[in-house]
Amino acid sequence: MNPLDALLILAALLAVTIGVGLYLRWVQNRPRRHISHEVVDPLRLGADGLGENATLLQFSTQLCARCPHVHRTLRSVAEDHAGVRHLDIDLTHRPDIAKHFHVLQTPTTLVLDRNGVVQTRFGGVPNRSVVELELIRLAGETAHA
Amino acid sequence: MPEPAPAPAGIDPRGPRFAAAITALLLIVDIMLGLTGLAVDGTLPTVPVAQRILDPAFLLLLAIALLFLWSLAWPRSAPWGVLFRRVVRPRLKPPAELEDPRPPRFAQGVGLLVAVIGLVLQLFGVPWALPIAAMAAFVAAFLNAAFGLCLGCQLYLLLQRLGLIGRHAAA
Repeated sequence: MNPLDALLILAALLAVTIGVGLYLRWVQNRPRRHISHEVVDPLRLGADGLGENATLLQFSTQLCARCPHVHRTLRSVAEDHAGVRHLDIDLTHRPDIAKHFHVLQTPTTLVLDRNGVVQTRFGGVPNRSVVELELIRLAGETAHA
Repeated sequence: MPEPAPAPAGIDPRGPRFAAAITALLLIVDIMLGLTGLAVDGTLPTVPVAQRILDPAFLLLLAIALLFLWSLAWPRSAPWGVLFRRVVRPRLKPPAELEDPRPPRFAQGVGLLVAVIGLVLQLFGVPWALPIAAMAAFVAAFLNAAFGLCLGCQLYLLLQRLGLIGRHAAA
């Protein structure tokens, strides 16, 4: 293969990789709402209760590079919003929970409303603003209901 | 509230990304050597094994694989990590947060596996195998360096879900 063709393949590879990276970043900040809206039992997860207004339920594993970062972000969001609780569940030794919630990547974050019903799901590392927007949306919906 | 289990001493998360950037650069050179070399020009199945080994793309990927092995087995002394701590980190602001060293280490193992598959297939005279393995490793290294996405780390949970690893690992 001549060097020019090789360079073209290399350029195509780079373009595809950047495309994949941008797509994955977009997906991580896209709240998914068409999910099963089940009621979460905090005791089953080893927690003693849920947030009064909402709960940020994070699933982590020990071998998860981005989980501590998301943990910090969500904890600080919970501190800034009254009645919002942050729960971080380590799935490393609980494959049953991972299976139940169909967790294929960590971190995965579920946003629960005041009744513990799963409303929104984020796979990956969501921006703080996207999570806050979801909480505001949730608060608005319960106010109207 | 259940906190994550206590982790080993944290590392600066920019360290693995710095190493991934250098790895990605090396892999670009290797892909270029592979695409212009005997792996794709149709002669690979006919040449003797010695010539398959002396292919520059093979030698460079072998070096990259050894670097993967180094950071998998002895992460504290791996060259790019040492370079980062001695030269780069003193010039940066302190990290906002520390990271668990195990996921990047696991990802090094995945990189090693991909590189070894490419090397072995080239030894058996399979055309294109070496540059394609280098491309796969490049995609992972580049996504880590540029976007902070660690594909090898994502893989961990999938393997665990399948019951292959980690389920009974000590906390």
